Amino acid sequence: MVARVAGVFDEKLTEAIANSKILVVGAGGIGCEILKNLVLTGFPQIEIIDLDTIDVSNLNRQFLFHKEHVGKSKAQVAKDSALSFNPNVNIIAHHDSVISNDYGVSYFKQFNIVMNALDNRVARNHVNRMCLAANVPLIETGTAGYAGQVELIKKGLTQCYECQPKAPQKTFPGCTIRNTPSEPIHCIVWAKHLFNQLFGEEDPDQDVSPDTADPEAAGEAGASALSSEGTTSGNVERKSTRQWAADTNYDAEKLFTKLFGDDIRYLLSMENLWKKRRPPTPLTWDNLPGKDDTPAQHSGLPDQRVWSVHECAQVFAASCKALQADLAGRPEGDHLVWDKDEKSAMDFVTACANIRAYIFNIPTKSRFEIKSMAGNIIPAIATANAIVAGLAVLRAQSILRGHLAAATSVYLRPKVNHRGQLFVPEKTLTPPNPKCYVCAPKPEVGLACNLKSLTLKELTTAFKDGLNMQAPDATVEGKGLVVLSSEPGETDHNNDKTLEQIGLNDGCALLVDDFLQNYEVRVRLQQEDEEKTWRLVTDADAPMPAPKEEKPANGSNGADEPKPGPSRTRADSDSDMEIIEEDEDETTVKPPKRRRTEMSDEVVELC
Amino acid sequence: MVENNEVELSEAEAEQYDRQIRLWGLESQKRLRASKVLIIGLCGLGAETAKNIILSGVKSVCLLDNEKLKEIDLYSQFLTPPDKVGENRAEASLQRARALNPMVDVTAETRAVDDLPDEYFTTFDIVCATGLKQEQLERINNVCRDSNKKFLCGDVWGMFGYMFADLVDHEYSEEIVQHKAVKRGPDDTEKNARETVSITVKRRAIYVPLQNALSADWRRPELRSRLRRGDPSYFVLKILLRFRDEYNRNPDPAKRKSDTETLLRMRDELVKELSLPAGFISDDLLTDVYGIVAGAAAVVGGVIGQEVVKAVSQREPPHNNMFFFNPVKCVGFVELYGQ
Repeated sequence: MVARVAGVFDEKLTEAIANSKILVVGAGGIGCEILKNLVLTGFPQIEIIDLDTIDVSNLNRQFLFHKEHVGKSKAQVAKDSALSFNPNVNIIAHHDSVISNDYGVSYFKQFNIVMNALDNRVARNHVNRMCLAANVPLIETGTAGYAGQVELIKKGLTQCYECQPKAPQKTFPGCTIRNTPSEPIHCIVWAKHLFNQLFGEEDPDQDVSPDTADPEAAGEAGASALSSEGTTSGNVERKSTRQWAADTNYDAEKLFTKLFGDDIRYLLSMENLWKKRRPPTPLTWDNLPGKDDTPAQHSGLPDQRVWSVHECAQVFAASCKALQADLAGRPEGDHLVWDKDEKSAMDFVTACANIRAYIFNIPTKSRFEIKSMAGNIIPAIATANAIVAGLAVLRAQSILRGHLAAATSVYLRPKVNHRGQLFVPEKTLTPPNPKCYVCAPKPEVGLACNLKSLTLKELTTAFKDGLNMQAPDATVEGKGLVVLSSEPGETDHNNDKTLEQIGLNDGCALLVDDFLQNYEVRVRLQQEDEEKTWRLVTDADAPMPAPKEEKPANGSNGADEPKPGPSRTRADSDSDMEIIEEDEDETTVKPPKRRRTEMSDEVVELC
Repeated sequence: MVENNEVELSEAEAEQYDRQIRLWGLESQKRLRASKVLIIGLCGLGAETAKNIILSGVKSVCLLDNEKLKEIDLYSQFLTPPDKVGENRAEASLQRARALNPMVDVTAETRAVDDLPDEYFTTFDIVCATGLKQEQLERINNVCRDSNKKFLCGDVWGMFGYMFADLVDHEYSEEIVQHKAVKRGPDDTEKNARETVSITVKRRAIYVPLQNALSADWRRPELRSRLRRGDPSYFVLKILLRFRDEYNRNPDPAKRKSDTETLLRMRDELVKELSLPAGFISDDLLTDVYGIVAGAAAVVGGVIGQEVVKAVSQREPPHNNMFFFNPVKCVGFVELYGQ
């Protein structure tokens, strides 16, 4: 509407706004603010997309939503609220994932500007590619606590979202998780794995039992104790943990005795591990510390009180029972998905992590703290979102004016820098990285793997997780031989064959493409005998994505959502982003202009 | 200033404020919920400021405005429904302001600032004023200052904006994060055992009143040297405040051409008066100062909202004492004036 009040903007901008069409991806903290600014300014055509529903913890910043909206579609409620500010604009709301065949390149092409207000890397990568393919300017936004950033991405003009390798996922060696935890986070990861073993999707990489293949324990180690049970994979051979638990009817005392008694004694038998470490102390159910203590006077939130081991055991028993009932109420073969906002799931992880921490002489933590760590919560606040969304819409205005070169990245700093700046704009746009495996004219990347052992199924995972593709197709360069097809069933019969078995060898190149993203990349295969899985290799020396073995925590929208997308595989389930840092001193040369760090979901790597 | 009341947060409060408590801590949240805030001027910037403060979970917010809602307000003011044009702006904002957070007590005051006695302003812990003339701002600032109450003011003209803060004598705590290596056993050689420890330090900041900040003496060498690295936003603010005082209104979009000429003339006078370098205050900063652009109101309202949170929670260093948003460069910065 301002745009239509003659004289507020110059005529050129007034007209550009009147003829514009904008897509807002995400209706969370930043998305609500962007939508408000667009509607008030008088942008006449807006579409907004979000697959999420409203949660009570959103209400401190996502101001288009109120208590009575909890559980409803964010996109729809955001649209309704924003229309009450200005009924003269046209808003189309999609309660949907942006990663869908419904939103292809031609859909993106209809917009003058796409504005990202997302909370996860998977969706950001996808929208980045769609905007590159559609050649539409993308304004990428994000906040983390007091900090934030706004960045223009335009094909051929600026670097794309994937030009700079992201900080690699934080990983913990599997043996640290299973055998020798030394920090609270190790126990929390273990507890989440235990949840999945007992109630969630069973994953062999999330074993929680002692790892006999621990190189440190090699030699005489626990061998004498139980070597006969060891398999080559290091796991103790027995029926699945889930089956065993079910057979005991999830008896809390039996589970406790095995997990926190027997397994710990087994670890103690691996004597090499404890030569330089303080050995763990097995616990017995009947005799737990804190049993007769009267709880000390506590000030603060109830969740901020640290439980005694005895209390943890009580919570462990109660949450096991509740989760067992939840699981039993589901169809055969279904499983639970861990969610920090599910009371029993969060109770279970708090109790198990603390009991294990106590055993290993690691400080125990409150449920409040463990929730932050287990749920990868990046706190989000109203003011930082408002500032970033305001800057984003002002940047959109200068892009519509045609001043693309002036629309440099702007960083909101948590504190002023040495020049007193709180919002720090870059001097110039950062040009594309010519070796980017996404936006270079002829994208190319190396894939280091052992062709003798990597299966086609694992190759698909490499393309999906490593190259962020949704539905990859691959052919052998020069031969046209189809290696992978995104058509269901077409190449499934080869899933378990190794790359060598289907005739691929060192140095051979695959053309891999994703139809939806309109993205093709040439992948050179590099034989590496030592590589256990796969690794992307670019000319840049920065680390590249490697396999993700820990599945990120799913958010509150569980398995019933029809499509994958922003909120599903997110690392942090409610922050409005990842980030940041920028130049501290303009005089220093800084080839990688931007350094993104991201709260990452933990990943377990094999020893 | 704000007493930290010892009543624990309810379950509903803990749930709604969960994310921000994780950022600024429970003590800050308790101080917030004990504080009383007055917001003067319910234009677009006032609405943005009110939204951020109400969402943060203060005890009460009073919206003060004696003006009627105009059509042009709707282009940046989202608390007032379009069908309430002609009604009092504060009253028209009440319903939506309350809906933002039912746990905050939101009221409206329709009397003019000039009709209110000094004591009125000191019943609040902090006052945020927008849309007033310099003289009115100085009066309220001095009243607050005499009672050791915090005062903030700010404005947005078009895409340009500023904030001023007088927190008088402000004590606050600042968290400093340190990394240290920890050993878990006498022979523990693993070097990965590092812990981050945050220590809290107490600090103090002394502020000056608005009249000092706005009458900075530019003949003094330390200010002259500022011109070199300089951003002219301070002078843009001086020009816009003078325009408001002289014409009893803001630059009007309907008179864009003639008002721009007036502003440029006032610019030239100021340049002469303070012996500023020619071309220092470029024309483009004075051409986008019409109406209130929603994006700029969001930016400046976000900064003011955060400063209110910092001031009442007495946590983290607040800005001392002027913040400017220069839309031409898209830079936001803080400078100290008048000390």
